[in-house]
Amino acid sequence: MIMIRAIVRPEKSNEVMKALMDAGFPAVTKMEVFGRGKQRGLKCGEVTYDELPKELLLMVVKDEDKDFVIRSVMESARSGERGAFGDGKIFVSPVDEAYTISSGEREISIRPAKETGSAKEEGAVAAGAESRETV
Amino acid sequence: MKEIIAIIRMNKMGQTKKALINAGFPSFTAHKVMGRGKGFVDLDLLRGAAEGLEDAIPQLAHGPRLIPKRILKMVVPDDKVELLVETVIKVNQTHHAGDGRIFVMPIIDAIRIRTKESGLEAINEMNE
Repeated sequence: MIMIRAIVRPEKSNEVMKALMDAGFPAVTKMEVFGRGKQRGLKCGEVTYDELPKELLLMVVKDEDKDFVIRSVMESARSGERGAFGDGKIFVSPVDEAYTISSGEREISIRPAKETGSAKEEGAVAAGAESRETV
Repeated sequence: MKEIIAIIRMNKMGQTKKALINAGFPSFTAHKVMGRGKGFVDLDLLRGAAEGLEDAIPQLAHGPRLIPKRILKMVVPDDKVELLVETVIKVNQTHHAGDGRIFVMPIIDAIRIRTKESGLEAINEMNE
């Protein structure tokens, strides 16, 4: 299993959630966060906004669904045709085990140690830059 | 070293905290979050539809709304994972959809800022 954390614009989060629902991935946890990216916040004339409000969507999916979910998030979270600064980031990390509390059901992911490393390298996929190649 | 992310019901927080301390896991980080699972249950809409509100019935198809939850994050040594997961499940299990989920993820390193200890020493909370 893979945990996908997507940091998206607050105004886009509903669109992303809808896209995920339509794609058959209803399970999402959403939290409001503040942060800045490599553009060091936002400068509007004299005022610099250091911490911009974003929404963090957290979902855990099967290994084989990873690329599809990332693509759906990316397509729905991008603003305009080509995207813009501030559209967000997607981080991918491995999950060893997942438990459903109500049933006590346990899911274990079995993957070789190597793949864990590569999953981390792929981790930071820039929503803007990477999209043109993958879509 | 593993990071454990548990998503639980809002009203189970107190019981969970107590159980975690008794089991020897005093430290965690908590957050209020909104989420949805695979269950297609929206209590407001269902109630509305049951009362015969015209507006609620077409909305039923649009899937669940987000439900407030608490998220707990803990980092523990590998051999404690099982105990922690058992503790959280024992307290939170009501056998109904919406009890939450637990994820176990690998963590490469941990560092205690105060003493610069790293690795297992940094997450050892019982020998203070």
